[in-house]
Amino acid sequence: MSPKAIIQRLKYFGIQWMAITDHNSMQNCPAYEMVAKNEGLYYSWGVEIQSIEEIHLLAYFDDSSSAKEFDSELYNSLLPINNDVDFWGDQVIIDENENILRVEQRALINSSQWDLNTVAEKVQAYNGLVVPAHIDAGVNSIISQLGFMPSEPELKLFGITAMLDIKSWLTEHPDFEDKVFLRASDAHYLNDIGKGYSIITVAEATVQELILAAKGVSGRKIEV
Amino acid sequence: MINLSDYVTAIKGINCTSALSLEGVKITGAYVCDMLSDVMGSAKPGQVWITIMKHLNIIAVASMTGIPAIIFAKGNEPDTAVIEKAIEEGIILISSKLPTFELAGKLYKLLNP
Repeated sequence: MSPKAIIQRLKYFGIQWMAITDHNSMQNCPAYEMVAKNEGLYYSWGVEIQSIEEIHLLAYFDDSSSAKEFDSELYNSLLPINNDVDFWGDQVIIDENENILRVEQRALINSSQWDLNTVAEKVQAYNGLVVPAHIDAGVNSIISQLGFMPSEPELKLFGITAMLDIKSWLTEHPDFEDKVFLRASDAHYLNDIGKGYSIITVAEATVQELILAAKGVSGRKIEV
Repeated sequence: MINLSDYVTAIKGINCTSALSLEGVKITGAYVCDMLSDVMGSAKPGQVWITIMKHLNIIAVASMTGIPAIIFAKGNEPDTAVIEKAIEEGIILISSKLPTFELAGKLYKLLNP
């Protein structure tokens, strides 16, 4: 999906803050960040990490240089398997004008060799926020892979899918009563953008503020 | 039903929870899966669980489903925290170098000679 097309659609829906979270890579963040900021949108660096247990975990960062360092550690933790273009398509890295800068050869579809706890530790070591993705999904969620949320790592904020009825889900998962949820479209196609969003009350659009919002500090909040 | 100890011998398994004895433990079959949500819903008491999943949650899942022993395929070995929890809960952990297919096949043969 091209940066310009995504951002046009976000503006159409009045969405003000975005992240793209490619599988196991942040190499496309610079291009999207540049277009987003030029168009007056808030942008956070993000990635969807697949742990060794095949759990999908979103990570967000404020500082792009920390994010890049994290990204390089993550890259080195991926299984050393090359991408099969016929199956998965080309993994292109683009610039803000949609020129292809290079093609990533390593298969980003595979898992990192980090387990859940290691992912959380690494993200936090780079001042990032880790958010388990789509916890209500039947595959690649903490619940599908691990059965239930373990006591470690201690996390507050959990991602949910675009359409989830959170009240009815909580009746089946009472152990999540004290958690906070972040709804996003998890859009893989242009048409999915805008199907899910959160209303976030913060002092500024930063990941550090999002962390405070998850804790409900001084009126900050996340509504889904 | 067969003795767990006979199966462990057949797969050249190593008991990671040496504080727990295999003596007298009987098994009825196996459940083979790496997704814990599925194991919770489908594994039956008395079955061993063949997996490569090593997260701590496996002990709770084994405990709540009545699984007496977890068999780790392909030489996987759990870390100390998992072993300690397993001993506490009385869940035997066995590591074998064999792949999952052979671990299940050998058990099937023992159960259906």
